[in-house]
Amino acid sequence: MSPWRLEFLARGPARRLAAAFVLVLYPAAQAAAHALVVESTPAPNATVGGRELDLRVRFSDRIDKKRSKLGLASAAGQAYPIQVLDVERADTLAGHVAGLPAGAYRLQWQVLAVDGHITRGEIPFTVTAP
Amino acid sequence: MALLLDIYGLLSVIVHGLLLTAQSLTLGGIAFLALVAQPLAADLGEAGARTVARCRRLLRWSAAAVILVVAVNVAAESLVLADTVDISLAESATAAFALAGYAQIVAAALILLLLLSSRASARAGRAGLGLAGLALLAAATATSHAVAQLDNRAVLSVCTALHRLCAGSWIGGIPYFLIALAVCRSQGQWRRIGKRFSLLSMASVSAIAVTGVVMSLFYIGSLEALYGTAYGVMVITKSLLFLGLLGLGAMNFRVVERLRVDPAAPVLRLRRFAEVEVGVGIAVLFIAASITSLPPAVYLTNDRVTLADYAQRLSPRWPSFSTPAQASLALAQLQGQLDAEAAQGAPAVSAYVPGAGQPPPRNAANIAWSEYNHHWAGAFVLIMALLALADRNGTTRLGRSWPLLFAPFAAFLAYRDLVEGGLEDDIGFFALLRDPEIVQHLFFYALMAAFGIFEWGVRAGRLQAPRAALVFPLLTATAAAALLTHSHSIANVKDLLLMEVTHVPLALLGITFGWARWLELRLVPAEGAIAGQVWRVCFVLVGILLVLYREI
Repeated sequence: MSPWRLEFLARGPARRLAAAFVLVLYPAAQAAAHALVVESTPAPNATVGGRELDLRVRFSDRIDKKRSKLGLASAAGQAYPIQVLDVERADTLAGHVAGLPAGAYRLQWQVLAVDGHITRGEIPFTVTAP
Repeated sequence: MALLLDIYGLLSVIVHGLLLTAQSLTLGGIAFLALVAQPLAADLGEAGARTVARCRRLLRWSAAAVILVVAVNVAAESLVLADTVDISLAESATAAFALAGYAQIVAAALILLLLLSSRASARAGRAGLGLAGLALLAAATATSHAVAQLDNRAVLSVCTALHRLCAGSWIGGIPYFLIALAVCRSQGQWRRIGKRFSLLSMASVSAIAVTGVVMSLFYIGSLEALYGTAYGVMVITKSLLFLGLLGLGAMNFRVVERLRVDPAAPVLRLRRFAEVEVGVGIAVLFIAASITSLPPAVYLTNDRVTLADYAQRLSPRWPSFSTPAQASLALAQLQGQLDAEAAQGAPAVSAYVPGAGQPPPRNAANIAWSEYNHHWAGAFVLIMALLALADRNGTTRLGRSWPLLFAPFAAFLAYRDLVEGGLEDDIGFFALLRDPEIVQHLFFYALMAAFGIFEWGVRAGRLQAPRAALVFPLLTATAAAALLTHSHSIANVKDLLLMEVTHVPLALLGITFGWARWLELRLVPAEGAIAGQVWRVCFVLVGILLVLYREI
C-alpha cells in the first residue's frame, strides 16, 4: 500500500467509507496505466550534484496541471517542498527544490490526463554533495 | 478497507466496459429506430408498431444505464482525485472528465425525456433523439485517448467518434434487430427488417475498419509495437473477435438474401446467430474498455516483446509433470534468509506482505510451479474433453458426468495457489486473502467448481428448467472474456506480456466454446450438431494448449 493511499484511508469515518467504495472501483494510479513519463530531469537512477535542483517531467499525454502534482521524498521518507514552475508545454510538470542534502531521493508524480485517467509513479535519483 | 482497493482493481475496467456497452446500446437504439424500425413501421402494420414500441423501451433502459454508470464513474474519479491531489471536491468535480460526464448525463436524460414524451414519435422528436445521441457521442469522445494527445487531436477525435458511433449502430443495434425478428411473423417482414439492418451493419463495419486502421497508425505506429506491447496485442485480439462477428454477420446476410426466393430459409438461425453476435459484441466492448486503460503502444518504446521472444516462448515442449519443492520457491527461500538474519540480531521481517502493493518474489522454481499447475490443468481439461467427445449424444453415464471433474480440478488449483502464496510459510489463509491475485483466482476456482456441478445437474437431468442448460455456456464465454482483462502481478513488463499473450488463445477458444455450445442448444438439432463439434474441438485444443504451456 502506497503512503498516499494509507493517508487517504485514515481520514474521518464517512469519508473513509466513501473512499473505500471509490477505491474498490478505482485503483487510481496503477503502474501500467495511462500517461507515461517520456523524459525527466533528473533521469531515472541519475546522480546529480548540488543542493538546488530543477525538476521537470514530460508525459505522453496532455495533462491537467491544476489537478496534477509533483512531490519529493528522501529514502527515509522525509518530504521536501517543491516550488511549482510554470511551463508552456501542455504535457510537462516542472518545479524547483532547494536545501537538499546528499542522498537518495524519489521524485513522486501524479497526473490527471485530459482524458480523465489518473496515473502516478516515482523517479529514483541520487544527489551528491556539491 | 485497504484490502478492497487491491482486491477489486479489475472492477474499474468492468465499469468502463459497462459504460461502453450502455453507450453502444443507446446509440444503436437511436440508429435502429431512425433507419430501420420507424421507416418500415407503416408497411409492417401492427408488427411494425410493436417493434417500435419495444425498441423504444429498450432504448429507455439503455439511456438510464448511461446515466447511472456515468454518475458512478464521475463520482468515483472525483473522489479519488480530490483525495490524492489534496484539492477540494468542487475543484475535482469540475475537471474536464467530470464536465464531459455531466454532458453525457444531460444528453442521456434528454433521450429519456424524448422517449417518455408523447410527441417523440413525431419527426421533431426523431430529430431530437438524433441530436441528443450525437451530443452523447461527442461527450463520450471527450474522455477518449484522442483528446489527451499532443498532436493530431482533431483527426483522432473524429475517428474515435465515428468508430464508436458505428460500433453502436452495429453491435448496439443487434439487440433491437433481435426484438424486430421476434415481433415480426412473416418471411416478408423478416426480409425487409433484415435487409435494412444488413445495409446499416455493412456501412458501420466499413467505417469501423477504416477508422480502426487510422487510429492504429497513430496509436501503434509500427508492426513491432503491434505485437510487442499489451496495447497492440489487445488490438489484435479485438480485431480477431471483430472478424468472428463479421463471419456471423455474413452468414446472417445470406439467410436474409435467401428469404427473398425461399420462404423456408432458416430464420431461427438468423435469430440465434444474432444472439451470439450480442455476446461476442459485448466481449469486444469490454476489450475496448481494457484498451482504454493502457497507454498507446507508440509511447512504449522499451521492454517490447520481439518475434524471437515469441518463438522461444511458443515452441512446444513436452511437460515434465514434476513439481519443484515448496521450499525452493522464492518466498520460502527469501523468508529463510530473513529468518537467519533475524537470528543474528537483525529485525524480524516478512518476505512478503500480501496486499502491500508489491508483487510477491518469484524465481525459476515459481515458474516451474506455475507450469506444473497449467500442465495438470491441461490434463484435467483433456480428460473432460475426451469424455465429452465420446459422449456426443449424452447417452453414457460416465460421459455425462465429465463436468463433475471441474470440482477436483478447482480444488487442486486453489491448493497450489495457496501453497505458492505462502500458506506453509506462516502466512495464514485469511492473510493471503489480502493478495488481489489470489482472491481473483480463488473466486474463479469457486465459480468453476460450482458451475461444473451445475452443468452436471443439467446433463444428468436433475435440473430440468429449459434455460438451465444455457447457464454453463454463458458463463464459460463470460469467464473467457474476463481472462482477457485479467492481469498478473509480475514486475517484469516483458514477462508479463508474454504470459498474457499465452492466455489470449485460451480466452478466444473459451469464447468460441461458450457460444458454440449455446448454438448447439438453441439451433435445430441438425444445425446444432455442427456447433456441437466446434465446442468439443475447442475443448480439446484448450487442453492441448495447457499441457504444452510454458513460462520460460
